[in-house]
Amino acid sequence: MTEISRRVTLAWIAAASASAFAAGPSKAAQNGSPSPWNDAAVPPITVPGYGHDPDLKAAAVPWPLTLNPHQRAILRLAADLMLPADARSPSGGSLPLDAFLDEWISAPYPQQQQDRALIVPGLAWLDEEAGRRLGLDFVSASDAQRRAVFDTVAFRDKVLPGYEQPAQFFARLRGLMLAGFYTLPEGIADIGYLGNTPLSGDYPGPTPEAMANLNASLIKLGLKPFSPG
Amino acid sequence: MTQPKSLPHGGFEPDVVIVGSGAAGGMAAYALTRAGIKTLVLEAGRDYDPVSESAMLKWNHEAPLRAISTPDKQFGYYDATAGGGWEVPGEPYVNAPGTTFRWWRSRMLGGRTNHWGRHVPRFGPYDFKGKSRDGFGADWPISYEDVAPYYDRTEKLIGVSGANSGLENHPDSSPGVLQPPSKPRVSELMIQAAAADLGIPCVPSHYAILTRAIEHRHAPRQACFYATPCGRGCAIGAAFQTTTSLLPMALGTGKLRIVTNAMVSRVVTDARGRAKGVEYFDRTTGSTHFTAARVVVLAASACESAKILFNSHTAQSPQGLANSSGQIGRSLMDSTGTDIFGHIPALEGRPRYNEDGKDNAHLYIPFWLYKEQAAGKLDFPRAYHYEIGGRFEMPGARFGLAGAEDGYGLSLKQDARRYYGAQVSFSVRGEMVPNADSYCELDPDAKDKYGLPVLRFHWKWSDHEYRQIAHGVKTAKQIIERMGGRVLTPEMPPEQAIQSGGEIIHEVGTTRMGSSAADSVTDGFGKTWDIDNLVIVDGGVFPSNAHKNPTLTIMALAWRSMDHLASRMRKGEI
Repeated sequence: MTEISRRVTLAWIAAASASAFAAGPSKAAQNGSPSPWNDAAVPPITVPGYGHDPDLKAAAVPWPLTLNPHQRAILRLAADLMLPADARSPSGGSLPLDAFLDEWISAPYPQQQQDRALIVPGLAWLDEEAGRRLGLDFVSASDAQRRAVFDTVAFRDKVLPGYEQPAQFFARLRGLMLAGFYTLPEGIADIGYLGNTPLSGDYPGPTPEAMANLNASLIKLGLKPFSPG
Repeated sequence: MTQPKSLPHGGFEPDVVIVGSGAAGGMAAYALTRAGIKTLVLEAGRDYDPVSESAMLKWNHEAPLRAISTPDKQFGYYDATAGGGWEVPGEPYVNAPGTTFRWWRSRMLGGRTNHWGRHVPRFGPYDFKGKSRDGFGADWPISYEDVAPYYDRTEKLIGVSGANSGLENHPDSSPGVLQPPSKPRVSELMIQAAAADLGIPCVPSHYAILTRAIEHRHAPRQACFYATPCGRGCAIGAAFQTTTSLLPMALGTGKLRIVTNAMVSRVVTDARGRAKGVEYFDRTTGSTHFTAARVVVLAASACESAKILFNSHTAQSPQGLANSSGQIGRSLMDSTGTDIFGHIPALEGRPRYNEDGKDNAHLYIPFWLYKEQAAGKLDFPRAYHYEIGGRFEMPGARFGLAGAEDGYGLSLKQDARRYYGAQVSFSVRGEMVPNADSYCELDPDAKDKYGLPVLRFHWKWSDHEYRQIAHGVKTAKQIIERMGGRVLTPEMPPEQAIQSGGEIIHEVGTTRMGSSAADSVTDGFGKTWDIDNLVIVDGGVFPSNAHKNPTLTIMALAWRSMDHLASRMRKGEI
């Protein structure tokens, strides 16, 4: 059920943030002081949500989007870096992940408002940090220069002192981009989800290949395999 | 649904009025109309039709916020629940200081049957006689043998797929009752293999989900097509809900009227103290109505029925109607619950196939330590089971990598592919021993939008539940480790691990049945001791709350109680 999924994820998030911040300071900042984190001026969303009884078959997002074109451009570039194209799926920036992030942080609900207070300052921070290093904003920087900014905050064991808050932003941005990406048809095809298709007859269960793989695993674990078929 | 009428229900004079259209009310309506009795169902919520409304085959990206749960839709955008949830606008409840009790309500035809889990294990012989077995709580005035024929009939009627296990205190269904079970998924088989190695059974679950079609003139239902979570409501009728089964079947007799948006406030009594009907509000206009009937049947859910009885107080019964025992609102119970998650490297990168199947796991772990418990070898008196999980599920807004998210770029995509479908979950569902600190009553101050006093909850778990949860957590971790897995759930004491009262949505006990008017509200047929023509058929009548999900037992008891009522009415006893 949905509730179980929620609890699964909360447990994972708890586990992830525990380990992400347990590492502590690793080495001194190599590029001077990090750009300041400024979360003073993120106006909250006060419009109504979709209500307790929305039309489930004609879903629509009733709240206005709030990001400006520059913020959306940062998101598209960040999505290209986060989830680049490969043989199995296109890049994050070529899919509407910027629209998903905008929809998310513009929603009037508490969790999304909490994310808004992290994502909006985070996008400004990417510009600030690029500017401090290069005298350019994030959008005008080169791919390699953007990677250099990402590298300060993207790896849980290598977050430099002073970069903790941007690292928290980055982790949340990554989480939202993963969710946004793998819920789209391109991401679903990439991950190999094969359901949401009505079947006739009995549920077929695992394929012979899946059973063979399971039995090989069970044998390695010293557990009794199942008879095939 | 086809026929719900707007208010009022002019011209139709019912013999029986039923309050509620969920599991209990739907079954009561089915049983009474079948016996030829003119019946009126009053449902507090709006009309609801899963055939036209449920979000079958919709993708998460088609909904706002990838369909994630929000305060507006607390089980996610596509959840069937309409106008309800942990809070219902205008209809508050109160927690006493120090209490966290959560009360899930729906305001729709069919009630909570539209979105429930549909896991339907039977209570066994021990579950009706817990006090005789270990001294705690209260025995039921009836035994498993009394209910067994109604379990068979109910399972056959609602359609239950699964297999008999032959295990102690997990009764088998009679031959020909169950529909075929579904093949287990890979992670379920791996759990089964690891559990077997530890001496723990893992067997086919019983679900009120059809694997074979049921023909019926008024309520034809298709077999499951193994797509769409059941909680969205099932347009093809495969997942049981009263809106596609019992209610249209009852309507088909011509003996039933249903009125929606009818929020019952109180049972009205005559000068002799007998029930003469109910008063209700039209939820859309706030206007008040009265309907007369020979018999009133409460099926509004355990706490809602207790609230109605409290609010029906009279000069003769100032503490609430049918409450001479003082037991209304007492003995409030839920199931215990906690979840343990594991990441299993042996499941990483495994071959893809369609793992939707039926909505939940096709296997579960029933309690297996009755002998040890009876011999005093366990430090907790009552049983639990695990509902297990783990599969390639439709990616949603909480898509993640089991806490292993790190870095960015192609490695992140590769990690996502590797971790997908490699997590398992164990949900503990256990029996709580009723205690004097867990109950509901009317709040002296708070009122709902109709001006009626609302419920105030008091709640405490005891060491019985904490020790049971500790055992459940420890054993689940052993199974995860036997699979070579890493436990993802942080280590915490059971007082912290246990979910809040009410959160499992198995609340029962507030109008319990018993063998004496002195310490119970109803007899073994749900008839209140104080008022001959007032019958309760929801989970309120449970004197104890076995770890087994309560809905099947609610329906079996409702059918049994209504057969009894119909026979009394035929004999002219009412």
